[in-house]
Amino acid sequence: MSVPDRRQLLHASAGGAAALFLAPSFELLHPTILGAPLAIAVIGVGRQGRAILGELATIPEASVVAVCDSDDSRLQSALRRAQGLRGYASHAELLAKEPSIAAVVIATPTHLHKQIALDCIAAGKHMFCETPLAHTIEDTQAIAAAAKGSSKVFAAGYQARSNPVYSLARSFFKAGTLRQLSHLRAQDHKKTTWRTPGSTPERDRELNWHLDAERSLGLAGEKGSHQLDVFHHFLGRHPVAVRGTGEIRLHKDGRTVADTILLEARFEDGLRASYSATLCNSYEGRYELIGGEMALIKLGWTHGWMFKEADAPTQGWEVYANRQQYHNDSGITLIADATKLAAQGKLTEGVGLPYTSLYYALADFVKSASEGKAPACSASDAARSTVVGILANQAVRSGSEVAIDPALLESL
Amino acid sequence: MLRLATRAMGTRFELVLGCEDEPRARAAGEAALGRIEQCDARYSVFTNSSLIARANRDACERPVRLDPELYGLLERCLELCAASDGAFDVAIGPLMRALGFRGQRIDAPRGASLGGFELDRATRSVRFTRPDTQLDLGSIAKGHALDLAAATLREDGIESALLHGGTSSVIALGAPPDAEHWRVRIGPDGAWEAHLRDSALSVSAPHGRTADFAGHKVGHILDPRSGRPVPLGLCAAVLAPTAESADAWSTAALVLRARGGSLELRRPHDQAWLIEEDGREPLFLGPHASFAPHARVEPTHR
Repeated sequence: MSVPDRRQLLHASAGGAAALFLAPSFELLHPTILGAPLAIAVIGVGRQGRAILGELATIPEASVVAVCDSDDSRLQSALRRAQGLRGYASHAELLAKEPSIAAVVIATPTHLHKQIALDCIAAGKHMFCETPLAHTIEDTQAIAAAAKGSSKVFAAGYQARSNPVYSLARSFFKAGTLRQLSHLRAQDHKKTTWRTPGSTPERDRELNWHLDAERSLGLAGEKGSHQLDVFHHFLGRHPVAVRGTGEIRLHKDGRTVADTILLEARFEDGLRASYSATLCNSYEGRYELIGGEMALIKLGWTHGWMFKEADAPTQGWEVYANRQQYHNDSGITLIADATKLAAQGKLTEGVGLPYTSLYYALADFVKSASEGKAPACSASDAARSTVVGILANQAVRSGSEVAIDPALLESL
Repeated sequence: MLRLATRAMGTRFELVLGCEDEPRARAAGEAALGRIEQCDARYSVFTNSSLIARANRDACERPVRLDPELYGLLERCLELCAASDGAFDVAIGPLMRALGFRGQRIDAPRGASLGGFELDRATRSVRFTRPDTQLDLGSIAKGHALDLAAATLREDGIESALLHGGTSSVIALGAPPDAEHWRVRIGPDGAWEAHLRDSALSVSAPHGRTADFAGHKVGHILDPRSGRPVPLGLCAAVLAPTAESADAWSTAALVLRARGGSLELRRPHDQAWLIEEDGREPLFLGPHASFAPHARVEPTHR
């Protein structure tokens, strides 16, 4: 069973820095939404769509009333799992027959987002669109423009922006805890074919769109753009160039996207973000690192740590930290509001987030749509990170450096 | 045959499946193992963001809304609790913690842990009726996950596969290509074997995990009614149509055996039970053909 990842801590603390465990204020962890449940349809019920259905089912302020998928077996499977829903084979039919739906969640393959998003925006629906937003710059621009012209909420699925652990870490970052930035690094390593079984060769081709370079942004776009977005979110700026390489190292099954990639994104001031993703090996999984003169922040979805340099000033909140021994190093486990949690007897219940990252993204969307507030991840935020992902994928495919035009990002 | 594995629920899940089309079979296997990993993330008492952790944190103060899958599972847990006369009870969390099986030890709760929660179908929510209630799906989650994984394989057109979780719970889809059924040996010496075809087997034994409590070594299976650990010499194997049912009843069978009284009164009619106890002849209940002496004992040395 999962526990705070000791292996990652061991690895990261080997240099002798103290590990500070980041946890947000307890009050922030319970999204509270007022008003009647938001009537939602989920379009696309593959793996991600089913995960979304599972999380929405636990949010009292959300009420999923319909699902849509062009694959009948997937649609029937979703209808079996969540009884009482109405199912549709196309988003056009859904929009025609379900006028009372207030919001849609789009979880279809990336290259199919544009038309669905434009039609749903035109129909006046609040929208949560999975990311990357699209597989071409033109489609991304079209979605961003339509979202800007809509009076409804458009939220996108770069989840770090609504994740409380990332928000807390970002507050330390913004307060200057790291001082001079040295480097950024991220990875997503998982041994998997990244393949979905299809009953016929045609279905197999349709379901495995992300293995087809013509329709997929590959690991750089589909996974990397999420992690590069973390850096965009923290720094408030984007790289000006990206170079990359990619190979099919293991899965020689006819796919045309690399199963192992390396990226280097360069910022205007010379700061660099290195990124690796592989489908061949799982070691250390997924994380983002933000390194600086006085500390390094490590983010791992539901957990975050800060590794302080020995000469970093001690801050007041560190007195609440628990000390833990990790191999040869003494790490400090930091839990914000530790005294309050201890008084409630909740310190021993674990230090990770009490909800999944996807839950926070969806709860933020439901809250935004219900209250008319700006979402944590806007169309512009998502469009910019999508474009960086698209260009990063171009860099991997070409094996060369690709410039990222700041004016293009600014226009989104 | 293709062999895949993942680590989840503190153990190793493994599956073997036929593979005429290896890329497709591998993808189907990964989807099935992904379902198991998902169950781990949702039902673990060790993961703060799991649905069970959310319920344990908040359900004594307010109803906690569940997804249909967990709601259905908890409904079946209540039915199992009633059918087993409380020998199976997922509200056993405080007792497990008191004995030191779930991290930091706590004081033993007063009285029985029986029940301790209620479900509201209209709001699909759970609410605890006692302040010390803590749910622990340890005696059913592996079987439940195996059933979901098997269903995923079937949806993806796989007709022959064997999945196990930590070698204590097994589910079989169809039969191997060259046999009538999957043969699974039971116990450390493998003297008995179960014949599985679209059915499941679960084996429970208190000595599988132990803790020191008040100077005594105790096993991880407790009678929820009394809080007493089941004697270490017992072992139960249950063959059932689903892994969830086999998993739950293999625990309940041990508790019922330790209590004494009639096991036949409680055994579901679609199950076969094999109860082994130190110094006694094995006890069979239900269709005997389900378990057979293993015909040939393999040499243990190489």
